[in-house]
Amino acid sequence: MSYIKVEKVYKRFIRRGQQTEALRDINLELEQGTFVSLIGPSGCGKSTLLRIIGGLTDSSEGIVSVGGQTPQQAQSDKQFGFVPQAAALFPWRTVLQNMNLPFEVNKKAGAALTSEREDPVELLKSVGLGDFVHAYAKELSGGMQQRVGIARAFGSGAPILLMDEPFSALDEITREMLSYQLLDIWETHKKTVIFVTHSLREAVLLSDKVVVMSSRPGRISQVIDIDLPRPRRAEMEDTEEFHHYISLVRGQLRERWG
Amino acid sequence: MGESILKNANETGPEVQAVLAVRKEGVSGREASRNLGPSGVQRLKNWLANSAVMPPLLAFAGLFILWELLVRVLGIEAITLPAPSSVLKELATSFVFYLPHAWVTLYEAVIGFLLGTLVAFIGGVLMAHSRLLERTLLPIAVLANVTPVVAIAPLFIIWFGFGALPKILISAIITFFPMLVNSIMGFRSVDENNHEYMRSLHASKWEIFMKLRLPNSLPYLFSAARTCVSLSVIGAVVGEWSGSTQGLGNIVMMASNYMQMQRMFAAILMLAIMGIALVNIVRFIERRVLSWHVSEQKQG
Repeated sequence: MSYIKVEKVYKRFIRRGQQTEALRDINLELEQGTFVSLIGPSGCGKSTLLRIIGGLTDSSEGIVSVGGQTPQQAQSDKQFGFVPQAAALFPWRTVLQNMNLPFEVNKKAGAALTSEREDPVELLKSVGLGDFVHAYAKELSGGMQQRVGIARAFGSGAPILLMDEPFSALDEITREMLSYQLLDIWETHKKTVIFVTHSLREAVLLSDKVVVMSSRPGRISQVIDIDLPRPRRAEMEDTEEFHHYISLVRGQLRERWG
Repeated sequence: MGESILKNANETGPEVQAVLAVRKEGVSGREASRNLGPSGVQRLKNWLANSAVMPPLLAFAGLFILWELLVRVLGIEAITLPAPSSVLKELATSFVFYLPHAWVTLYEAVIGFLLGTLVAFIGGVLMAHSRLLERTLLPIAVLANVTPVVAIAPLFIIWFGFGALPKILISAIITFFPMLVNSIMGFRSVDENNHEYMRSLHASKWEIFMKLRLPNSLPYLFSAARTCVSLSVIGAVVGEWSGSTQGLGNIVMMASNYMQMQRMFAAILMLAIMGIALVNIVRFIERRVLSWHVSEQKQG
């Protein structure tokens, strides 16, 4: 049985008196410990789908099950490590204090997670931020802040990580570096990751599975398995297979242009 | 002579440009070298720029000297405008007389400030969490704000007598609104990413308030507190004018009746000092609490 199961999910909302369908008939099954990307044009509902799985938004119709629970139950059990577009670091907290935030709230659910808690300083070192443990969040560059956000998600003890375009506000060079750091940290943790992105390169490089979505209404056009060997290294980006997958995803996105 | 200066200038490095500029403007070499000196003006400037207390202190000293000179040169009579020296003398000789009055006014202002801002804070918490409550209660707060406090003060004296209570209430009313509006804004204006992150952890409303909304609102609260603390002194004085037996506002009123200008100015001066002291106490606490905040770091 799949770990995360999305069945016949619809999401509609009313905007200016008109009903809009943000998601139509979404069906998806995700295995535990896999890295899955949601890719598609703006307005295809990929962020909405992520939020429905994470229990941040309700679906209008359909069933979502996360490890046998509803999204809300899973959320109250602290099953999710969320990484939004901006790093969501509190500016009045130091990097370390921000790392500890998941353990300070909803403590009842965290009891089990706290025991397998990782050393936050070691985690920060592993993403190259060992010197910034006691810096305030705003003293860090955007890329560094996002690295803290990712390290926090991996260190929070949550088995499922939800990443909503975490690199989209960063420059190209920083993005590239961060995607490899994300690969590294994921290799050592093997958590389930759902990663929303606009970038073909990121989707293929990182994922076991790429879910291609199209817009108006938001729906899944194809699910592509990426059978590239792991661990994935920078050289892989020059291989024919890598480009094959890129063009496969691109073709699928273009098909829905007309 | 000119050449020797050029030589010196070369050795002093960055000042070369200044020397050359001065020379071009045709100032004699001697003047130029005096301007540069051991960069005395520059050093004074640096010293002033690095001191928090000196620039305002110098400004006040300048103002007092100007005032003193004006009174003396123009021969203004004390009945119109007493010289600052005579006001200070009055204050120094009768300090024991003023002190208990200052204490009364300070007490009324501070208690009024604490009461008004505390009620506003609680109101802000409630209204920030409920649009319905805000729509229901905010108009009442606006009504209290737009009604001139000077007009309510005599009413309060009739209701609550000549003691400290009506002054405290007037201070509280006058400080209430700025704190209310700022706290609502501070609690509401949380970053959406941060709020959603807290929700993803299934944090309770209480946790979101304590860990996110409250720290987020602190810059707003302190900004309001600085305004409110000076308003609270105004409230206390307005209350004392409307009916009182003691306090600095009472002294100003009585002195005005008897044309005791030195006494009046002495009381006004004490009120001004009290206001400055209160604002600076708030600033001091603010700097301690908000060391993380951008507006603090720029001044560092």
